[in-house]
Amino acid sequence: MNVLDITGVTKVYNPDTVPVHALRGVDLEVSAGEFTAIVGPSGSGKTTLLNLIGGLDRPTAGQIRINGIDLATLSANKLIDFRRDHIGFVFQSYNLIPVLTARENAEFVMLLQKRPRAEREARVTQLLREVGLEDRMDYRPTQLSGGQQQRVAVVRALAPRPRFILADEPTANLDSVSTANLLDIMARLNREEGVTFLFSTHDQRVIDRARRVVRLEDGQIVSDEVFDR
Amino acid sequence: MLLKIAWRNIWRSPVRSWVVIVAIALGVWAVIFLMGFSTGMANSYVDSAIRLEVGHLQVHHPEYLTDREVQFVLPQADSVANLIAAGPGVQAVSVRTLVGGMLSSARGSHGLRVRGVDPAEEAALSQLDRKLVEGAYLPEGRRNALYLGKKLADRLGVRLRSRVVLTFQDLEGNITSAAFRVAGLFDVENNGFEEGTALARREDLNRVLGRPGAAHEIAVMLEDAALADTVATRLRNRLPGLDVQTYMQLSPEIRLFESQISASVYIIMAIVMLGLVFGIVNTMLMAVLERVRELGMLMAIGMNRPRVFGMIVLETLLLGLVGAPLGMALGAGMIRWYGRHGLDLSAYAGEGLSEFGMSAVIFPDVYPGMYVELAAAVLITAVLGSLYPAWKAVRLRPVEALRKL
Ligand SMILES: Nc1ncnc2c1ncn2[C@@H]1O[C@H](COP(=O)(O)OP(=O)(O)OP(=O)(O)O)[C@@H](O)[C@H]1O
Ligand SMILES: [Mg+2]
Repeated sequence: MNVLDITGVTKVYNPDTVPVHALRGVDLEVSAGEFTAIVGPSGSGKTTLLNLIGGLDRPTAGQIRINGIDLATLSANKLIDFRRDHIGFVFQSYNLIPVLTARENAEFVMLLQKRPRAEREARVTQLLREVGLEDRMDYRPTQLSGGQQQRVAVVRALAPRPRFILADEPTANLDSVSTANLLDIMARLNREEGVTFLFSTHDQRVIDRARRVVRLEDGQIVSDEVFDR
Repeated sequence: MLLKIAWRNIWRSPVRSWVVIVAIALGVWAVIFLMGFSTGMANSYVDSAIRLEVGHLQVHHPEYLTDREVQFVLPQADSVANLIAAGPGVQAVSVRTLVGGMLSSARGSHGLRVRGVDPAEEAALSQLDRKLVEGAYLPEGRRNALYLGKKLADRLGVRLRSRVVLTFQDLEGNITSAAFRVAGLFDVENNGFEEGTALARREDLNRVLGRPGAAHEIAVMLEDAALADTVATRLRNRLPGLDVQTYMQLSPEIRLFESQISASVYIIMAIVMLGLVFGIVNTMLMAVLERVRELGMLMAIGMNRPRVFGMIVLETLLLGLVGAPLGMALGAGMIRWYGRHGLDLSAYAGEGLSEFGMSAVIFPDVYPGMYVELAAAVLITAVLGSLYPAWKAVRLRPVEALRKL
């Protein structure tokens, strides 16, 4: 079964004033365990698409189903809980809560889910170790590099074992070494944990690491290729 | 966790948070101080009125209070007084003959009431002997001695040993007069009393009235004002045919005064809290607007609206929880210090306070329940002040919040 089914999704911003057709009929299926990049020029609709998939915004038309659940059937409040329980988010920046340490940030979603303390600690310690932050667990975000912060964000997204992780340009603010490092980590976790990754990027080095590349142009999918790597 | 985040969040802008905390502390302190001050003032007024004028209870001939005619004397006043004095809770009893009339000197005349008393009894009740400034308090063996307020003496241009004439209506309704000699002068911080009341020995006054043993009033001081109603009820049962009244019945203005003071304190409290609400709204709104992206991120990753709302309310409450105790400690310390040493207003108020029967030295006092009320008021204020900012926060849409740079 697909973790994600998108059929005929369109998104029009400002329909009443200056309509912007950000997505024009997108159909997409993503199955469990994928490591997929959404690519395309600036303004092609990558962020819009990821926001719709993540339930942060509603499509103008079309249907988005996650694990068979139509997001349109969920109320705004239900949607927040749905995100908490089923989707991991990694943003381009401002991912972390500045007043919490790396470990506390990483635990945050599990905490919102009221998971027991022992489970949280075990899971987060293990993941932070896997991403090479065992000696940074008690640092605040401002004491971490951009790459380290993104790694914490990935751990936070991954810790509650969501259906998939949405990452909108997670490497946009990183240098090439940190970028390569973050992708190594994401690829490894994708393999080891079997979690589905869906990320957007314009960075060719990132595109080269994806096993499936969906290309958007002007709000439409223009190519969809699978690579064996 | 929410508590931890909220607590750390308020220290992200320490200066801003301290400004609010200090504002809350000052507001609390000001309310405590004002309240203590007003209570001290009320106490001073009430104590003075009770001591000097009414006592806790008074017993009269049933018709006396209606028109204060001199013929309405108490039957067997002295044995009634002994009976009252023997009762529980009674501290002092004074039997008084009351004569209203005109006091004249060579310079002028002034209306007044002369209280004929047993000097020792009266001293135990009203402590007027302690207010002596010149001469002696109703000295033994001197006939028709008068204990006069200093203000009235000045008005009449009389001094110690001056001769004054009291003109009054006797028991038969005839206008008569009698000569008295000023034996002592007193000074109380109550102008009305000082200019309108003089003390004489009861036997002197009764002699000029032509009725030895007469008395119009038995004033009773209790160990505790709170006993007034109980003791009054008991006396009414024991003394049918006599009029027994408590100070509240005799001087309803005492209670009015107390209630007005506390009403005005609540109004001040409301005004202070209103000011704080605006300060808090302003600060918390800033705190929310500064964190739009972060709040958007929190809601995106699954922090639901009640939690976001709760976080902002909690941050505000914490500011109040730091500020209020500070203000309370400050206020309580101040009340304590001045409660013991007195706050001397004579330099500012001068004679003004004694016009109203209040001392120029105020001993501030607050009732303990006040701190609880104030704490509740601050918490309510904090919550009220946080509602709008918190509402703003939960109304953010994550997509838009995250797009803001
Ligand atoms: N809230 C909005 N209101 C109006 N127009 C919007 C809004 N968000 C996005 N758009 C427009 O929709 C189109 C798609 O934007 P989107 O952000 O999805 O592109 P993107 O592929 O993520 O671009 P980039 O690579 O620059 O991040 C753009 O033309 C953009 O200007
Ligand atoms: Mg984008």
